[in-house]
Amino acid sequence: MDDITRFLPELIVLVTAGLVVLVDLFVPDKRVLPWLTLLGLAVSAGWTVGLIVAGGQGRAFGDMLRVDAFSLFFLFLFQAVAAVVVLSAIDFVGQMPDRQGEFYALVLTVATGAMLLSGANDLIMIFISLELTSISQYALAGFMRDSRSSEAGLKYLLLGAVSTATLLYGMALLFGLTGTTALPGIATALHSASDNLRPAYLLAATLLAAGFGFKMAIFPFQMWVPDVYEGAPTPVSAYLSVASKAAAFAIVLRIFFEALGDSRISSEWANLFAVLAAISMTLGNVVAIQQRNIKRLFGYSSVAQAGNFLVGIAAVSASSGRFTIGASGVLFFVAAYAFTNLGAFLAIIAISDAIGSENIADYAGLGRRAPWLAAILAFCLVSLTGLPPTAGFFAKVYIFNAAIQAKFVWLVVIAVLNTLVSAVYYLGVLRVMYLGESKAEGRVRAGLPISFGMAVSALGVLVFGVAPGPLLTAAQKAADVFAVH
Amino acid sequence: MIPLQQVLVLSALLFSLGVYGVLARRNAVLIIMSVELMLNAVNINFIAFAVYLAPNKVVGLVFAIFVIVVAAAEAGLALAIILRVYRNERTANVDEVDLLKW
Amino acid sequence: MSGVGPVSAFYVLAVLSIGSALMVMAARSIIHAVLFLVLFFVSLAAMFVLLSADFVAVAQLLVYAGAIGVLVVFAILLTPSREQRGMETKFVGPGLLAGAVVAGTVIFIAFNTNWPTASNDFPSTVDAIGQALLNRWALPFEIASVLLIAAMIGAIVIVGGRGVDLDPGAAGPSARLVRRER
Repeated sequence: MDDITRFLPELIVLVTAGLVVLVDLFVPDKRVLPWLTLLGLAVSAGWTVGLIVAGGQGRAFGDMLRVDAFSLFFLFLFQAVAAVVVLSAIDFVGQMPDRQGEFYALVLTVATGAMLLSGANDLIMIFISLELTSISQYALAGFMRDSRSSEAGLKYLLLGAVSTATLLYGMALLFGLTGTTALPGIATALHSASDNLRPAYLLAATLLAAGFGFKMAIFPFQMWVPDVYEGAPTPVSAYLSVASKAAAFAIVLRIFFEALGDSRISSEWANLFAVLAAISMTLGNVVAIQQRNIKRLFGYSSVAQAGNFLVGIAAVSASSGRFTIGASGVLFFVAAYAFTNLGAFLAIIAISDAIGSENIADYAGLGRRAPWLAAILAFCLVSLTGLPPTAGFFAKVYIFNAAIQAKFVWLVVIAVLNTLVSAVYYLGVLRVMYLGESKAEGRVRAGLPISFGMAVSALGVLVFGVAPGPLLTAAQKAADVFAVH
Repeated sequence: MIPLQQVLVLSALLFSLGVYGVLARRNAVLIIMSVELMLNAVNINFIAFAVYLAPNKVVGLVFAIFVIVVAAAEAGLALAIILRVYRNERTANVDEVDLLKW
Repeated sequence: MSGVGPVSAFYVLAVLSIGSALMVMAARSIIHAVLFLVLFFVSLAAMFVLLSADFVAVAQLLVYAGAIGVLVVFAILLTPSREQRGMETKFVGPGLLAGAVVAGTVIFIAFNTNWPTASNDFPSTVDAIGQALLNRWALPFEIASVLLIAAMIGAIVIVGGRGVDLDPGAAGPSARLVRRER
């Protein structure tokens, strides 16, 4: 029974996905669908809380799935992200009465895959859950059937398929070197492997990094990001920018820290990630400055932010007591970024729907026309820049501290310079909103569900910025899973 | 007995042919075919390692089965999206699909 | 896999698969490329039999040579190209370079690594695969079914609806369909 109880958070989401499709088929009033979806996510979250309270942590289905502090951290994150995305999509999906159920079902299968991925402990399980998220996301990106959306779907799918093949090649090499697909088994085999095998292990690690690099949206696999974010429906872009990235970082942390964390190769891949981090940040920020479309701007900004996360992965050697500070920094940053980016994207959805434009120039005067929307967007932009009193500020300080302890001073210098560059375009949007002269007049209002989603996200950004303690404790507990034994 | 290295060379050559096709071919259907080439190369690796490795040989074979399943699902969705793009744009060439920058 | 027969069969199949893969890359017409792709799938299935992975070989024939081959042929029939100008993008050079780098690195490492090989006796794999799929890998096996359904839903949603193809002026129920789409 333990197997089922530990798998139940994912199973509930999955069953809800099936129910949504069925209800869509038989119930004429489609307005129940988003609420049914939210109910499923809430029940799943409730069961996850129950697992913690009852101490139900452990393994499920052999050692396919782990329920530990790390996976629980991400379970809550993905449930929350999916719920906010559903709130933001209600108005958008309402315009397509013929396929509402499918939209919510795909949102839920993405969440299922991401949740499974955070607990997956076997290469086969990792592969299948990653593909479940990816395939559902390809479909969501192309959901609108118009030119822009279907092109975004095509581009996302073609490049995603290539990254899957690369990832699989790395997994095949790893399997050949260790004879097993279980992550603990790989760690044991690596620990006792002869020096002759080191280059092959490094090749496997590089191929894995390349495969996951696409999902994390880091250099040199970032070229799809701005196009897909621009072409996909905006709620889907918000979902991609947060869920896909968080899931990829979750699995990269688990594979690299648990299976490939042996000090014989970890300094090499740490250097690789440090270089990729520096290039991703610089490239993302420099190109973002020139963007005129707000969704493209956020595409490049998310590449730069992924570079920031990578700083924490590169800081694998910085440990405090039992856990690595870098890993806990990544977890904190991912959670802070999730709330910040969702808040910003929801504000963009509301604003763009109302003014009918995604051009930054058309955001002029919004400080007066939509004081609340502009304030939330401004607050999230401040957090993305990394200024106090927001969650983004604390996340950056914490992760840079980890990098300094890991002797990556040059990386921190580049990261701080990049923060200054990013301030130019983040605060540039602010300047347009508050100081620009508006061409149009009239108040801009947002619907109730999306406003609620925005309030939740902004509150998260504020609370984690003012009182980061609880989230930090959770992140450190989660990173404790990769403790140096 | 064929040395393992020669099987690995075969898979490496097929994989790099796929890499070339992904970068160089214009038609989206041909790009999908190149990806299938890469996935097949991966499967050769899995099966070779499974057969030549002593402990629990079945692992590699199971992985190969999962790769085939996912490849089929991916190809199905890919061709659906290509069909949709073709209906919108009257072309399946990736460098003509340029509303968004390719 | 020892003895003259299997060893020469390996080389024949290796040449056949690389040759057909090369033809997929070089073919001037997409239909020819698909035919060579099916030949490639079949030669790999034979290779799998030679490597004593019989079940995977059957799956390869059914899924790749059968289903995916037919799927690709349908896709080509439904997306006819108007013009016959070049089949290549401007990335031929980088493509050759990337392919050479990948092949070079992997082959170099393949030859410079003492792979932990062992002797093999591989009587029947069907039994063992069935046991493994329903015991140790039961969870991924179930998730794979969800993945297939998700892909199916996605494909239906994306292709379904005839909004673009129908003439808006058409009478009857199809015209209503178009208006609902818009």
